Amino acid sequence: MSGNMHQYAFFLGCIAPNRYPGCEAAAIKTSQRVGIELLPLKGGSCCPAPGAFGSIDLNVWYAMAARNVVLAEQMNMDIALICNGCYKSIFEVNHILKHNDELRDGVNEVLKEIDMEYKGSIDVWHLAELYYDPAICGVDKIRASITRPLTGTKIAVHYGCHLMKPKKERHFGDTENPMWIEELVDALGAESVQYRNKMQCCGAGGGVRGYDLTHSLDITNEKMINLREVGADALTEVCPFCQLQYDRGQIEIKEKFGIDYGLPVLHYNELLGLAQGMSPQELALDLHAIDCKPFLEKIL
Amino acid sequence: MAIEKNYGNPQLEEKLRDRYFYTDDSNPEFLANVEKIGRTIAHMCFQCGTCTGSCPSAPRSSYRIRLFVRRAVLGLEDEALTDPDLWLCTTCYSCTDRCPRDIAPTDIIMAMRNLAFKRDIVPRNFLKTAQLIYTTGHGVPNNDVNRAAREKLGLTRDPPTTHGYPEFIPGIQKILDYYKLKENADRILAEEGQ
Ligand code: SF4
Ligand code: SF4
Repeated sequence: MSGNMHQYAFFLGCIAPNRYPGCEAAAIKTSQRVGIELLPLKGGSCCPAPGAFGSIDLNVWYAMAARNVVLAEQMNMDIALICNGCYKSIFEVNHILKHNDELRDGVNEVLKEIDMEYKGSIDVWHLAELYYDPAICGVDKIRASITRPLTGTKIAVHYGCHLMKPKKERHFGDTENPMWIEELVDALGAESVQYRNKMQCCGAGGGVRGYDLTHSLDITNEKMINLREVGADALTEVCPFCQLQYDRGQIEIKEKFGIDYGLPVLHYNELLGLAQGMSPQELALDLHAIDCKPFLEKIL
Repeated sequence: MAIEKNYGNPQLEEKLRDRYFYTDDSNPEFLANVEKIGRTIAHMCFQCGTCTGSCPSAPRSSYRIRLFVRRAVLGLEDEALTDPDLWLCTTCYSCTDRCPRDIAPTDIIMAMRNLAFKRDIVPRNFLKTAQLIYTTGHGVPNNDVNRAAREKLGLTRDPPTTHGYPEFIPGIQKILDYYKLKENADRILAEEGQ
């Protein structure tokens, strides 16, 4: 450990680095200011996409995810990541393989072919839960790191599905009305707002976005109606895939259903970056499909 | 068709006819396979409907998760695997968290999708994702607009994943080849001229 920094192997996945690189940049910088150091996990792949890969063949999903875990085992470090889809693959496969000898043996037979072995020696965390955990960071430390409070903004939270559910294979407790991400939002000086059916899915998962876009967007649109009802200035989430569904999805909703919401969608790390004084350029907010300006005008 | 009970008494046959429990298109192995692949206890379902009631896909389609669980229990393999609704589950796990029998209906769907794939029933976009991962390691690969944006952020043009370290790609290909995934994806897409 360098100094008193908590070090993690930073698993990137696909959508953050390849579509919203601001999320990646923000994660690295914001975490540093609260005592967390994210080190590159070299050679990581797609987690792989739990919807597409899990649906085709769960055994491939186990083996591919295990390979990513082994890369971190070789670094002797726990994994931190910033995407719920990645969490589903990397956390859950790690969890399953630690507790299921038959599956672990099966995976190791495949990994042997590439001179790797899954040992089950590390843990996997979402950066958001590390931010919330007082043993690592905690809400107070987040609050203390703020230089530009997001005062006067109303922010709604989308938790996403795969971070906390299924709850029996997680450690988050209640999945009906959790409030811990709201606490993290309030720590930035913003006001978190509640809306109908908060825990509903964004509509993208399980391969549905690719299989039937209209169906998928209709689920998103229901969320958008509920968000508009409470007058949120922005939506925050902890998953680049949910972000893509809400951000690009609003453009697609406009095309397909003729409704224009214009609600800025920001990953919690981007929001934290803004509150820690990072500029919109440092966060590549211009890559967002929905213009973040109306939100930025309230805080800059 | 329901199986005839052959009591030799038309009135009894009519009174005790069971249309759903045992039909000649029911595969007794199906339930066992679904339970093994999905690591679930589908047979414990008491058809309460909590799963369908929790499902974001149900109100906007004919997809009913409770029906799929029933099909698992009854062994109605063909009916389940050939129903296009099988692919409308977003895997949100709401049903799984709420099911009073702790059955994990979501994992029943995942198991059925795995079995469907063995019959080449699979949405084409899933196969294309698999092909992309085979060649790049990523389901959503980098592009030039994004490379330029990364550079401006002070990040490497390609992330330190298989993009930055392509020497890891052969290992990934070996894993996918072990399960013949690329081979099957190529074959299925080629059969359709894609
Ligand atoms: S919630 Fe569970 S017990 Fe109830 S119908 Fe669905 S799978 Fe069966
Ligand atoms: S996991 Fe699938 S079946 Fe269950 S509630 Fe979500 S979309 Fe419906």
